[in-house]
Amino acid sequence: MSAAVAVGVLVAGGAYLVLQRGLLRVVLGFVLLGHAIVVLVLAAGGDGRGFPLPGNGAGAPADPLPQAFVLTAVVIAFAVTVYLLGLLRAGSTEPGPDDDDARGPG
Amino acid sequence: MSLLVVLAVLGGLAAAAPLLTRVLGRDAGYVLAAGFLGVAALLAVQAPTVLDDRTVDWRAEWIASLGVSLALRLDGVSLVFSLVALVVGALVLAYCCRYLSDAAARGPVYPLLTLFAAAMVGLVLADDLVLLYVFWEITTLCSFALVSTAGAKAAGPGRHALVVTVVGGLALLVAVVLLTLATGTTRLSSVLADPDAVLASPYAVPIAACVAVAAFTKSAQFPFQSWLPGAMVAMTPVSAYLHAATMVKAGIYLLVRMSPLFAGQPAWSAVLVTVGLTTALLGAVQALREHDLKAVLARSTVSQLGLLVAVIGVGTSTALAAALLHTMAHALFKATLFMLVGIVDKETGSRDIRELSGLRKVMPWTATATAVAALSMAGVPPMLGFVSKEYLFMGLLSADVTPWAGPVAAAVAVTASALTFAYGARIVHGAFGGPVEQPELYEPAPAFLAPAAVAAVVGVLAGPTVSLLDPVLDSATTDALPGSTPPSIYAWHGLSPELAMSVLTVAVGLVLFWQRDRVDAGLQRLRFPDGPALFTRGHDALLALGGRVGALDRSPALAAHLSRPLLAVVALGGVGLATTGALPARVGDGDPGRWLVVVLLAAAVLGTALATRTVALVALVGVTGLFVSLWLLLSGALDVALTLLLVEVLTAVVLVLVLRDRPLRLPAPGPRRWPTAVLALAVGLVAAGATAAFTGRRDLSAAGTFFLDRAEELTGGTNVVNTVLVDFRGLDTLLESVVVGIAALGLLLLGTATVPHPTDTDDVLLRVGTRLLAPGMLLLSAWLLWRGHDEPGGGFISALVAGIAVALRQLASGTVPTRAWLEPRVLLGVGAVLSVGVGVAPLVVGEALLTPFSLLPFLSSALVFDLGVWLMVLALVVAVVQALGARPERERVDA
Repeated sequence: MSAAVAVGVLVAGGAYLVLQRGLLRVVLGFVLLGHAIVVLVLAAGGDGRGFPLPGNGAGAPADPLPQAFVLTAVVIAFAVTVYLLGLLRAGSTEPGPDDDDARGPG
Repeated sequence: MSLLVVLAVLGGLAAAAPLLTRVLGRDAGYVLAAGFLGVAALLAVQAPTVLDDRTVDWRAEWIASLGVSLALRLDGVSLVFSLVALVVGALVLAYCCRYLSDAAARGPVYPLLTLFAAAMVGLVLADDLVLLYVFWEITTLCSFALVSTAGAKAAGPGRHALVVTVVGGLALLVAVVLLTLATGTTRLSSVLADPDAVLASPYAVPIAACVAVAAFTKSAQFPFQSWLPGAMVAMTPVSAYLHAATMVKAGIYLLVRMSPLFAGQPAWSAVLVTVGLTTALLGAVQALREHDLKAVLARSTVSQLGLLVAVIGVGTSTALAAALLHTMAHALFKATLFMLVGIVDKETGSRDIRELSGLRKVMPWTATATAVAALSMAGVPPMLGFVSKEYLFMGLLSADVTPWAGPVAAAVAVTASALTFAYGARIVHGAFGGPVEQPELYEPAPAFLAPAAVAAVVGVLAGPTVSLLDPVLDSATTDALPGSTPPSIYAWHGLSPELAMSVLTVAVGLVLFWQRDRVDAGLQRLRFPDGPALFTRGHDALLALGGRVGALDRSPALAAHLSRPLLAVVALGGVGLATTGALPARVGDGDPGRWLVVVLLAAAVLGTALATRTVALVALVGVTGLFVSLWLLLSGALDVALTLLLVEVLTAVVLVLVLRDRPLRLPAPGPRRWPTAVLALAVGLVAAGATAAFTGRRDLSAAGTFFLDRAEELTGGTNVVNTVLVDFRGLDTLLESVVVGIAALGLLLLGTATVPHPTDTDDVLLRVGTRLLAPGMLLLSAWLLWRGHDEPGGGFISALVAGIAVALRQLASGTVPTRAWLEPRVLLGVGAVLSVGVGVAPLVVGEALLTPFSLLPFLSSALVFDLGVWLMVLALVVAVVQALGARPERERVDA
């Protein structure tokens, strides 16, 4: 059940941020949404299990398949995040009407 | 086997065509034509088998799981259509050798024409519905490409032709799927052998409708006919081939081929006969009012195809024999006429009968050949066209759906044929009659005239000797209509109703020609809907509709844009709440310590929502990530937790790089803060509810059990997650690394106008610390990579560690270490080559893709694969640092 609460919290926070002004909030909102997906997929493998190394004696090992899925997903989410940051930065060099960050003080 | 050779030779000729034209210039067409004739001979030597009412078959597995095979079959019908395609193709290619300039011949025309022929022959030989469909679409694409070689003026007509015929192709695909559903096989001969299975199935009507639509679009039948006249913007040899022997004849072939299923069904007959005769009449009337010789011929093709469709619709053995015979006759006279019109066009510079006059005096041989072909088209004895038209009349008269169907169909056909006579006369008289106006012209070179002349002569000789074709037609008709007794074909069958109809046709045609000025004046007053314009309007309207539908979801404001999918999630949650019934009980609840993590996580997330300063927001998002990592760790996902932790560190470094020149204060939140918060909470609630409902309610999955039990034995690795990544699901991992690489390339493209960021940190601790740390981190990275197969680590994790070293270096000193091997492109390339190479290597020895193997005692393929992943992920990090770490050009100017 802790997975459900964690997913709910992360999704609510992520959704709130992507709906705000300022591209930085939007990008970081997507980061939180990415975390939510990681927790969700991992929870899909079943709750209440431990480490996946066979023979380490720490209880029943968790399902390795969702772990493999989200491991690459984490890296891809990182790639998407930095790409969005690249867009944010590229946008800030060309001020336009829909670029909030370019209008900030200082 | 010989059938495979046929297709292989044609494919080889298409592939060799560019080379041949480079060496031989336009004369390469002769080589290709000889190749076509050779292939035709290959098929012809099989004729005795076919005439003996047996078939020649070849087959190989293709998609075994669907029962789809590469099945080819030569029977009477396919023999007729393939020989027509090959012989006419040979003539057209020989004609090309004098029509084209050397420069034009080096273009795509020769390879495309050859491929076109190959696709057409493949289409008529295919004994598998899926294969038939594939060849069908190749002919569509070839014809589009050939029409497009005419340049900019072909853009509109080319698109028209493509869209109409592709729609027909989709209809054929639907028919293929439904036929497979109805009969349980994709084998065409099996489907045709059991008409009752198709007719009794609920799909019978949709199948027949889709087949008809496919054939009508391909063969330019009403109301789809207008693409074919438009497609005559193509160069003349292309038009000749497209109109005479390929493309449009594919529709005719399909209808003949499907006749065992539908012939004699009243609805099928009614539709085909009605549509065919409407098209025949419409095409003939429109042909008679054209001034452009090529346009007359293009409209004429529409009309002749209409007659063919109608007679196939009648579906008796006489009718189908007539259709097959007329297909041959039409191929001969239409190819001849197109080639001759091309000659006139080349010699005089015009195809307009209002500008041409008296060419019979200066080009007597061309005039004779045109007259002969036109007489065949008009159905005048003793030409082959006369015989085939007699049988067309006979076939239409045999229509027996209702008592009056035969006479009415025959009357319409006589009208269309009289118009045919008239426009045939219009062609000959328009170009060659009247006073000589261009006395300086002369006969084309014999080699230019020869292909057309050969076709014209064959058209004359085949008339009286038509009974030689009897065995072929007999066999083909039996294939098209199993169990029927085909009529014997004679050039002359006495005083019959058909002869009377022919006499009437010629008489009316002569009257129309005699009164040509009045007829022309009358016809010019007729107004027909402009097909291409209608198509363009419809096409534009469809695109505009798409634009309007898309505009609903296209908003410059990000929040308005993103709130829609979020609202959809809430709606989905409502649906889920209403429809989800009782759920299985939960299985286990894991480490209770995770609840504490979740509480801390919630506090951090709340903080991100309230943050007003950049630093606070970035720090809180980082903290959130750390708590998520902790949760993952407590859930047993060690590798994932480690990866996320490293990603968080790296993200923090990148954020600092991006944000160090930016305002510290975030922009004020949007105006509608509370509605946004309510929506966000609702989405979170739905997500939480769905997670609670659908996870944690079963024990280990079957796949998970398999991996845990067998991973070590199968791969030699003890880190099961890593073995899943690099061994079991290596292809996934490879493609995901490619996604990472694409992001890296995207960043490189974004960050062009940049200069190195000046060193602006006076943080000695950071500078010195980084220097000391970097080598250690690279060693750590190497160690993690090495042990990844057995213990937590692996390509992704170790690359992130190395990446952090690179990024810290940039942060501390403001420069990226510039070494050639550290260029993202180099890293990406080497990484991709390593991963793909080690994945593909097992194929050489016949093993499956990505089969693990051992290179050296301590170097497994998995490690090399992981090294490739390592390089690609590192490439991303270096790209990030290069693109985002440097200061944008504009800011430097400002400073």
